[in-house]
This record gives sequence, structure tokens and C-alpha cells, in this order.
Amino acid sequence: MTNLASSTRTSTPTRPTSSRRRRRHVDLLPYWLVLPLAVVIVGLAIVPAAFTAVEAFFRVSALDPPTRFLGFGNFRALLDTPEVRTALGNTALYVVIGVALSTILGIIMALILQAPFRGRSLVIAVLILPWALPGVVEGLVWSGIYDANNGLLNSVLTSLHITGGYSVFLGPHRLLTIALIELVQVWQITPLSVLLILAVLQIIPGELYEAARLDGCGWWGQIRRVTLPLARPGIAIAMVQALVATLNVFDQPYVLNGAATTGSSLMMQTYFVSFQNLDFGAGYALSLFITVATMLLSLGIVRLVYRRVEF
Amino acid sequence: MTRPVRRIAAVGTALLLTVAVLVGCARVTPSNQTKGVTITVALAGPPPGKAALANFTRQTGVKVRWVQLDWDSLQTKISAAATSKTFFADATDVDWSRVGEFNVTGWFYPMNNYVDTKSFAHDMPQLSSFVVGKKVIGIPYDTSFLVTTVNKKLFKKAGISTTPTTIAEYTADLRKVKASGVAHPLNIPFSAAEGLSTYWYEVTNAFGGQVLNKDYQPQFTTPDSPGYQAMKWMVDALKQGLVPPGNIDVTDGEGEQTLMAKGLVASTFGDYSGTVGTLYDDPSASSVPKQVTYIRTPGVKAPAGNVNNPDGIGIPRTAKYPKAAAEFIKWFIAPENQANFAGLHGPSQAISGFAFPARLTALKKLDENGKLPQGKQVIDLLTKGSHPAFPGAQPPWYSQFSNSVYTNIHSAAVGQESVDQAVGAIAETVKRLRGEA
Amino acid sequence: MRRGNPVARWVGIGFILLWSLIPIYWAVNTSLQRDVDAGARPANYVPPHPTLHNYASLLGIGGVASDLTSQIRRSILNIFVECGAATILTVAVAVLAAYAFARMTFRFGRVLFYAVLVTMAFPAYTTLIPLYRIMTDLGLVNTYAGIVLVYISGFLPLATWILYNYFSSLPRSLEEAGLCDGASRLQVLWRIVLPLARPGVISTTIITFLAAWAQFLFPLVLSSDSSTQPLTVVITSLQARHTIPVTLLDAAGVLAIAVPALIALALNRYIVSGLLTGSVK
Repeated sequence: MTNLASSTRTSTPTRPTSSRRRRRHVDLLPYWLVLPLAVVIVGLAIVPAAFTAVEAFFRVSALDPPTRFLGFGNFRALLDTPEVRTALGNTALYVVIGVALSTILGIIMALILQAPFRGRSLVIAVLILPWALPGVVEGLVWSGIYDANNGLLNSVLTSLHITGGYSVFLGPHRLLTIALIELVQVWQITPLSVLLILAVLQIIPGELYEAARLDGCGWWGQIRRVTLPLARPGIAIAMVQALVATLNVFDQPYVLNGAATTGSSLMMQTYFVSFQNLDFGAGYALSLFITVATMLLSLGIVRLVYRRVEF
Repeated sequence: MTRPVRRIAAVGTALLLTVAVLVGCARVTPSNQTKGVTITVALAGPPPGKAALANFTRQTGVKVRWVQLDWDSLQTKISAAATSKTFFADATDVDWSRVGEFNVTGWFYPMNNYVDTKSFAHDMPQLSSFVVGKKVIGIPYDTSFLVTTVNKKLFKKAGISTTPTTIAEYTADLRKVKASGVAHPLNIPFSAAEGLSTYWYEVTNAFGGQVLNKDYQPQFTTPDSPGYQAMKWMVDALKQGLVPPGNIDVTDGEGEQTLMAKGLVASTFGDYSGTVGTLYDDPSASSVPKQVTYIRTPGVKAPAGNVNNPDGIGIPRTAKYPKAAAEFIKWFIAPENQANFAGLHGPSQAISGFAFPARLTALKKLDENGKLPQGKQVIDLLTKGSHPAFPGAQPPWYSQFSNSVYTNIHSAAVGQESVDQAVGAIAETVKRLRGEA
Repeated sequence: MRRGNPVARWVGIGFILLWSLIPIYWAVNTSLQRDVDAGARPANYVPPHPTLHNYASLLGIGGVASDLTSQIRRSILNIFVECGAATILTVAVAVLAAYAFARMTFRFGRVLFYAVLVTMAFPAYTTLIPLYRIMTDLGLVNTYAGIVLVYISGFLPLATWILYNYFSSLPRSLEEAGLCDGASRLQVLWRIVLPLARPGVISTTIITFLAAWAQFLFPLVLSSDSSTQPLTVVITSLQARHTIPVTLLDAAGVLAIAVPALIALALNRYIVSGLLTGSVK
């Protein structure tokens, strides 16, 4: 990055330069430009985050004052709590199901949309709808589909005689409950995965497919030998965004399944621990844990999947 | 500096100054002023009629700004405001279940500093739920208890003519109702929420016991204990098809009462008092008007009492005008006003959906004027053994205890664990919480 | 897949459309039914007696304005005010900062830039409780200003990043020419850079607006009554109320998704380009 300002300052002969201009001084303009951003980000993002990172190691509880240093005590206590352990397992399932499903669906949908056709932009417009809607309302919308008394899913399955009668989907089986809740989130995050993968597919040169065809590759061979390897950067980023969303899942299980342990996520536990148990230190510890896990797992995905591709 | 830069500089400086000024704003110190101040009252229900509030302002010079929130977010706000030591309301909800917690945290002014509670304790049956030692954390502003509601019409259709008085009779009657065509006659809100815990206390009470003793020791671990039997009865009712399978996602209040109001179920064992008048008999909201009635809650050998579930009001420590708030609370709990809120003088002064007055005198007055649906039964239920869910004051860790209760009963209902495992897990939690406290 | 099977492709396109639209259709379908019809088994796949009654009673059209309608109306106003103000301010602040980051070298510039990007990785919840404390210290709880400020702090990083990428991709020659003609750097930003980066500014605006519209937890904690609660918060509190029929709830839900859905359908091109600029590093 060259300094545009300094390189052009000498080349303005048409304007009478002020005496101040000629003296060497620190160029203040960029500081003024970033000042509002700096005030907001430092005051409302970095300072609060630092609070969290520090107080995660303290006992901050309304029921047990005063605030005192605990070291890793909060983390230990959390690991001893059955609800948190269950939520940890649930969240692992959310992440695995969510990342896998949104990535597979993302690849499939991107392949469908890869070649131009009439009306493609309209299909893409419809595709991004779920991404654009508020998560809380999506939970509400899907509860009408899963409803045990008169939901769409029950209605269809019963009419087609797949199930004998109306059944309860959310609750009885942990895996099914988690899968169905996660499906709502997958519905929300898949559009972005599709866009990211599609963007990479668009820049794969056609010659490569030609070459693969000449080598005797069929449709599947082309996908396996050309498309998937070259789309890796897009797939990696899609997986990272899915990971961040699924690790932080809150709205969907909260709206669809309440506080039940069957589907409770780590984020929900953070909320309960802070606002119900009034144990803010433990709440901070849990959010810090989620933050660190997000960063480490993102790095892991990038290292495994991301490959810079040069054409 | 060029002109745009100067402009940005001005804006930036202004921004910094604003932040500085705002940070400099000290926290409000409470004031004892009453005349001419506006207090904020935050409760989980609608305000009294405009005419009633105007009366109060005329009498005291205190204006009221009413904030209505749903119960759950209100509880969150109370905690958040108290822990960040900031003003949120001058008078707000003190739920009976959180009294122990508030006693430990000291988030509320003791009400006995402001009001002579001894003078009207005899007229306020549910005050005891708010007393810890010598402190009164809040004052009940309505009377609310759990009560069994029955759809008479559906019971009659099944050929049941006598009111069940024991749990065994009640269960047999439900089976008859099921056989007569109501697919799932019993209403239990199995969603993992506070209402499921409360329901269990009510059933435990009917089985003749309580879930914790005075020292907060679990009383529900052995198969012959009332708490264990109550849980088993609830879970079995679901497994045997007496409860709609979809109820494992149904919450108390809205969810379960809708089923009752639509006539899809025939009875709610632990319903909320007041629902007959405010909901089931309201033709605009219910398809079963004049069909639902309160009955004495069936017990082991004879009808049992009920568990209190009152709403209280108190003054948080972060209040701006505690004295004015106390004036309001005095007015709010006065017998004549309580009768007004329940509709003694028509809707202009009433509170819509108001359960029952907190004062016996007000209840009797309503009944005399024919304004209390099934008034005799209600007063009867209230005076014959309606009592707090816990023998001592509520434990300070009640919220965590209740969370363990409702998540484990829910798990037992969906078949993820047995009743044995559920009571074991709850007992384990109690042990941990008692160890901490 | 240069030449796929056309039948397979249309099946695929059909799948994408159904996947995206069925849940939305179901909510719309329920919201147009009477309460009686919504409980039917099997469910009605189209409203048997279509009615706009639910919307009318939510918005208080042609009926009595109840507490509920005034609350809903107010929350619609709130969500527009909060999202609108947050979007305008976020984009304005982000434009200035992104231009500085993209075109100027200054001390601490890199550090600040990376700090901004790092905040993008924080889960929103991490800062909820400390933010609440800061907002209460500033006396901004339950005010538009407080909610808008928090939104700005949340969406600035992404907005700055998208705009930074747009600005960086513009050829410098035009700006140099402008400076040679004696324009100040801010005039260059205003007259040359912004018009060129217009698609980027529009994308950033839309994405910020949609993100603000989808907020739930922060406004839930930061607003204490209906004077500042946005529509999304009011809808979830409706669920906790007594006997709100599902048809009415779904009508409220459809109201809340109508605006983002229309934006997504009409301006999807900008959203796509903005999202791609924002996430491809």
C-alpha cells in the first residue's frame, strides 16, 4: 500500500499550498476518518469482550458475592454440571449435522445452478430467501410444520400412509429432535454456502472439463476430478460460516423445544447460567469457551479443506 | 484543515464529548419525593383501568407509567437490572418462587419498612409465601393457586355424575372419558418450563406431601413418597394415552389452556385459578363457555388442598422513587381497589385477566354482588388448605432446582430416562445446591 | 457439469424452489385461515375460506384498536426506525473508515483494521452482559439510541470489510487524476470513489439492514417495554401470552418476514455480490 496522500501532495501546483502544508507533519485525515469506527468498536466490542475474557476466571455471582479470582474454577464447575455436559454433546451433534448437511446441499445446489439458464437469477433470489429472514420467526414458521396436532409433516406422512397416525417429532428421540431442529438452521445457512461454492464454480475454466471428458470421464468423473478439487476454497469458507452458525445455535432450539435438555445448546446454557442461575462468571466462561472453540475449529477446517487454486 | 475535514473533526469531537458526558452521568440516587413524580410499574399483566389510575394520581400526586412484559423476560430484566445496579422500575414483580433468592441477593427493599403488613395478614391468605424470617420481600397483589378444572359436559357425556374426590376415582373417570370419545382427556404441560415444576408440586401435594422439607432435603426419592408417586402418575398418564402425546411440547398457560378452551381435553389437574372467569367462560376465546368448573383437587383418600401460586409486587433497590412506589403498592393492594380490579364496578376500573383479589374481604364482596364465577367454591378452595409449595421459605437456588425438576420430568415423559433416574438426578442437583449454599 | 441432463436439472431447480418456499408458504397459508380451519386433520393445504381477518385484527384495521394492535403497530415503527438508523449510520461510518484503510497508511491503522476483523469472530453472546452494563452506565437502555449503537457495533466490522474490498478493487488512476485536478481527498471520496463503488455501498446497506431486522436477543435485553421493542421481540412475547391462536401468530410472523423477503427478491443481485465480497478473502 503506497501512501496516496503523500505521493500526490507535491503534485498539486494549481493550488496555493498553505504554510502548514509545507511543514512535515503527521497526516491527521486518516485518524479523523477512522475515529467514529474506533470509538464504537473499542467501546462496544473490544472492551466488553475483554470483560468477558477476564471475568471468565472470576467468581461473579449475584447469589455468592463478592467477586473473587477463581482461576479455572468456573470451567471445572461447568464440566461437572450434567446439563452443560448434555448441551455440549447436543452442540457437537448440531455442528456435525449442520456443517455436513449444509455443505452437501450447498454443493448439490451450486452444481444445479452452475450452468446459466433462463430465470437463474430468479431461482437465486428465491434461494436466498431463508437466509434473509429472522431466525426467531423461522423457528415459529417451522413449528407449524413439526406440530404434533396439525402440522404439515404429520399431515403429509399420515395421508401417504407412511406413518400410522399423528406423532410427536420433537422430544422423544434425542437424535431425531436434534436433526429436525438443525434442519431449520440448515435451511437458514445453506443459501450462503450455495453462493460461496457457486462463486468458485463460476471461475473454473471450461477447458478443464473438456480435458476431463477427453480422458474419458463421465459426468460423475468430471465432478470428482475437476469440480470438487477446484471448489475447495469455496467449500472451506462455506463450512466455516456453517460452523460459526451451528456452534452458536440458540433461536431454533429455544423456540422449537424450549428449555428441554433433549435439544439444549451451549448458547442456551450460557443464557440460563447467566440470567437464571445469576452466575455471570460461569456465563462468561462458557461464552469464552465457545469463542475459542469457534476459532480453533475454523482454523482446523481451513487447514484441512482450503487449498489455494491457481488456474 | 480543509472544510470537510473540519466538519468531520467537529462531529468526532462531539461524539467523544457525548460519550464522556454520558459516562459521567452518575447513577440515580433514590429520592423520597412522592408528589409530582412519575413512577414506572413493570408487571407481567395489563394495567388497571384508566379511571382507577386517575383516582390514584388524584389522591397522591404520583403518576404511573405502566410497563407490561411477558413473565419470562420480566424475570430476566429484574436480574439484569439488579446485577448491573441500574434503574428499571420503581415497583415490579416478585414471584413467590424467587423470594428466597431475593432474600439472599437483597435486590428488593423489605416491604415491612413501608407497609404495616401485620395489620392485614389475616385478610391476605397468601402473604406468607413472601415472608422470609422477619422480612417481607413482596406483597401479593392477587390470589392465585393451582386448582383442578373439569369440563362438566364431557364428564357427563361419559356417564360420570359424581365429582371425583380421590386420585384413583379421578383417574378411573378419565379412562371413562377417554372411552367415551375424548381421545386424550387429561391436560399436563410437559414442555420443559416452570409450569411443569409447579404442576408436579400440585400433584405431589394431592398425593399428600411436599417435594422438599424445611431443611430443603429431597422428599421424593423413595417409590412410596408422594413426590415419586406424583411423577409416576404424570408420566404414566402420558404413556397410557390419557394425555395428548403432543403435550410434551405444550407449555403451561397459553398452550394447555388453549386445549381446554377448545374442548380437546376434559380436565387440567393443576390449572390456574381464575381461568374459568377470564378464559373458559369468554365466548370470544373459548368454544366451551359455561362447561368448565373448578373442583376440589382429588387427594389420596379425600380432597386435598392446593398449592399457592401468587403474584407479588415489590420495590427493587434500584428504584428512583421507592416512597412513591410504596404509596402505589398500598393503593394497589387495598381491598376496595382489589375488588375493583376484579370488575366490581365494571370494566373501566378492572384489570383484564385479573386472577382473584388478594384480599378475602374483596373476594367476599365480589361474591355478594354476584361478580365472582363459582364464588362459593373459590372462597372454599382458598380457605380450605391452599398453602405454599414449600414448608419453609423458598430456597435461594430455587431457579436452578426448578430447572432440574422440569428438564428431568420432561426427559422421563419422553422416555429418555425412567422415573427412578429422574428423581435421582433431581436429588443429585439438590445435593449440589445445598452443598454450595 | 457443462452439459447435464436437462430433466435432472429441472428436477434440481424444482427441489431448490420447494426447499426455500414450502415453510414460507405454510406460514402464509395458516395465516390466511380461520382459527377453526387451522386445526383440521389432515391440514388444509390451501385456505378453505381465505380471510385477511388475522392481519386486520393484528393491525387494528376496521376494528377496535386493542392493546395488542397498538403494540404491534408501535413495534413495526420501532423496527423500521432502529434498522433504518442503524443502517445509515453503519454505512456512513464504514465508508469513511474503509476508505482510510484501503487508501492511506497511518500508524496503528493495520492494528485497528485487524482488531475490527477479529471482533467479527466473537459470538454475539460473548458481549451481551458487559454490553448491557455499558448501556446502563450510559443511560441508554430502552432507548432507540442504545439499540442503534449496539447494532452499529455489531455490523460495522462486516460493513467495513465489504467496503474495504470494494475500494481496494477500484483502480487508483481515477483518484490520482482527481487529486491532480486539485480536489481534496474527501472530495475524491465523495465524487469519484463512492459513485464507482456504488454497488458495494448498496450491498453493504442491504446486508446491514437485513442483519438488523433479524436481531432478537439484543433488543430483547436492551428494550424494556413496547416503546422500543422491535416486531421480532413482540412476536416471541406473543407466544407466551394466553390463547393467541396459531393463525394470528403466523400472521404476525408473515408480517415480520415480508420486508426482508421483498428485499431479498428484489435486490438479490446486490446481496449476492456483497456476501461474496464479504466472505472471500
